[in-house]
Amino acid sequence: MGLLRKIRDTGQVAEPAPPRPEGGVPPQAREFGGSVQVRCVDAGSCNGCEIEIAAAFNPVYDAERYGARLVASPRHADVALVTGPVTRNMAEPLRRTVAAMPEPRLVVAVGDCAINCGEFAGGYGVEGAVSDVVPVDLAVPGCPPRPDEIVAALRRVTGR
Amino acid sequence: MSLIPAALATATALGVAGAPAGLVLPQRVRGWVVGVLTAGVGVAGGTAGVAALGGSGWSAEVPGLLPLAGTYLAVDALSGLFMAVAGAVVAAVAVYGIGYVTGHGSHGSHGLGSRGAQAVLPLFALSLLLVPAAASVSTFLLLWELMALTSLLLVLAEHRARPAVRQAGVWYAVMTHLGLVLLLAGLMVYAAQAGGETFAALRAGTTGISPTMRGLVFVLTAVAFTSKAGLVPLHAWLPRAHPEAPSVVSALMSAAMVNLGIYGLVRVGSDLLGGGPAWWWLLVMAMGGLSAVYGILQAAMASDLKRLLAYSTSENMGLVVLGVGAAGLFAHVGNEALAGLALAAALLHVVNHAAFKALLFGAAGSVLRATGERNLDLLGGLRARMPFTAGLFAVGALGAVALPPGNGFISEWLLLQSMIHGLEVPGVTTAIVLPLAVAVIALSAGLAAAVFVKALGVGFFAQPRGEQAAAAKESPLLMLVGMGLLAALCAALALVPGLLGEGLDRTVAAAGHTGTRPVAGGGLRVRLEEVSATLSPLWVLAALVVALGAVMGTVGWATRRRQRRTQARLWDCGGGAPTPRMAYTATSFAEPLQRVFDDMLAPEQDVDVTPVRESAYLVERVEFRNRVPDRIEHRLYQPVLDLLAAAGQSARRLAGGSVHTYLGYGFVGLITLLVVLVVGW
Repeated sequence: MGLLRKIRDTGQVAEPAPPRPEGGVPPQAREFGGSVQVRCVDAGSCNGCEIEIAAAFNPVYDAERYGARLVASPRHADVALVTGPVTRNMAEPLRRTVAAMPEPRLVVAVGDCAINCGEFAGGYGVEGAVSDVVPVDLAVPGCPPRPDEIVAALRRVTGR
Repeated sequence: MSLIPAALATATALGVAGAPAGLVLPQRVRGWVVGVLTAGVGVAGGTAGVAALGGSGWSAEVPGLLPLAGTYLAVDALSGLFMAVAGAVVAAVAVYGIGYVTGHGSHGSHGLGSRGAQAVLPLFALSLLLVPAAASVSTFLLLWELMALTSLLLVLAEHRARPAVRQAGVWYAVMTHLGLVLLLAGLMVYAAQAGGETFAALRAGTTGISPTMRGLVFVLTAVAFTSKAGLVPLHAWLPRAHPEAPSVVSALMSAAMVNLGIYGLVRVGSDLLGGGPAWWWLLVMAMGGLSAVYGILQAAMASDLKRLLAYSTSENMGLVVLGVGAAGLFAHVGNEALAGLALAAALLHVVNHAAFKALLFGAAGSVLRATGERNLDLLGGLRARMPFTAGLFAVGALGAVALPPGNGFISEWLLLQSMIHGLEVPGVTTAIVLPLAVAVIALSAGLAAAVFVKALGVGFFAQPRGEQAAAAKESPLLMLVGMGLLAALCAALALVPGLLGEGLDRTVAAAGHTGTRPVAGGGLRVRLEEVSATLSPLWVLAALVVALGAVMGTVGWATRRRQRRTQARLWDCGGGAPTPRMAYTATSFAEPLQRVFDDMLAPEQDVDVTPVRESAYLVERVEFRNRVPDRIEHRLYQPVLDLLAAAGQSARRLAGGSVHTYLGYGFVGLITLLVVLVVGW
């Protein structure tokens, strides 16, 4: 009973949905039909982007209301959300993760490091940006990007 | 001249001819000649058994063959069943044995190919066939001892290769002779009380014996016979001797020799003594039930493939003895119909068990020969390397798990039918005992499924976990033919058990339950006359095939739309490919069961943490050991062995090496003897 009361008292905390984001929709995204399963891959990030991704799926930003959902295996996923510069140890696992996803699939690079290695460019352990390892369809700039920017990118994929 | 004596004479001649052939022939032809002769022994003996099952009987008396007592032989349907089973097993295993001994490139098959072992093998086969034909106490004991000694020599065949064989041999020798002593005592008391030593005289004289003496005879002989059948608590030889014996010998022992313990129990308990009070049969049922559950639990814990099969033998014999005990109990309360059904179920289970266990031991021997490895944790991947052996093992395992369409299912179903219908019998004892018996059968059947999923899945599927298993090659053709014969027998027993119906009815009548026809078989179906139940194994199989086809068809139809298929590598979390060390082992498969039955099994676990020398906080090595000891053996045998060792140690003080003391012993002994003679007489 306490749980039900808590639900009633808390009410809805999600912010009102912002207007639909601008920008083109990737061609593969049309086949998803508004429902997108997302697998996160940390390719060497400082975990700043991970915190923002977690925030994007919390009750305030609530990315799930637009049809995006986090899953635990690339076999279940349509979209890979890749963060961080790709380190040497993670280059091959990242390739295999993307290869393990069923087609059609999209790769979204989240954060400056994923786009151009950011702060870590030239580091001895860094293989390169995500686009050097796997083809990237969409990028979310920022160090780290704000949760609503991540949500906006996912909304472009779900089309909702 | 009728068929039975001719067949028995042929079997004896072949068996006796096989012994010198094994001794003198050169290595090149020895395996072939002995194998063919042994197979002949099996075929001839099996023919005699089938003829006896068909309704003909025979008895003979050869006064001059044994000094003082003479030899008495008799074959009735009860003997016939056990002879037929032993004959079929011997014939198939002998064919298997030719391949086992003569094939090239094997691990440790030379032990059985030696002169001594090959000379003893036909004699062992012959003794298995002749024990049920004995019809006097001295003949029976002589053949019984011949069987024990020849099997002991065969167990020791590979003693040069592994020291563990010798230890197993000592255990087997001591336990089988303890059994012999009990049997000798029991049968001698019986013969003295009945006033004759032929079975006919015993049968006639049994009414004049006091109930106490009858009880004594029954308990002594029952303990001896259940020890031979590998029942708890006298089972300790079984999980030792079976794994260490060559697989041909394990198959013969487990599929034919242990049956003779059941034969003895039925022959003496039901036929000669003519049944008895309820406590006899409750004792027997308690031993059977305990063995069934304990045996299958130990099998579930075992990682050694042959040890697993040995414990499964203990379980199956437990179920059989449970049925024999229930039959005695029903006969005691006067319900001959149910008694006949329970006994028929038990005897059918003997037949089924012989077929699938010989096949399983044959397949285990094939694996052992190809890999030199019995440890399931190091096997795996054999399905691709030894496809025929894997398939034959699967047929045997299907029989052992007591699920349709396996052959073990039919007899366990009959056993359950007799127990459940037994609840109609009024009385407090049956109301308490029979539900427990049903629970025991159900529990052991369920655990048997887990055991054989483990043996087949971990042993044959997935990737090889050891170098030996990775290099395995399929066994020679003759071994596969021998196993194929046994698999065909399993299939026949599973699909048309009704063919055995008439023979089983005659066997039950020969065991003293006359006037009842429990199993009326019409070939394709089994109908239980007395309790109005029917089972058609062929229809069960047809239904299973149709259901399987329907499911496969539906799945195929549902997935047909997706035409495009891609080959993808296994998802391994992006790391390296999975190695065989990550695979499920037999130990890990058994771990949940070990937790559930923790109180009963009492596993021993210890963790040793060794820190590095510089600091106690840094760990250099962690060692984890898990062992499931045979608890009954631990509790029951260890104190006795300790006591004997202590007695031996203290007796050493008497022999100090001084000649004067020894002379003193002689002097004191002489004086004591004289005093006793003077005072006593």
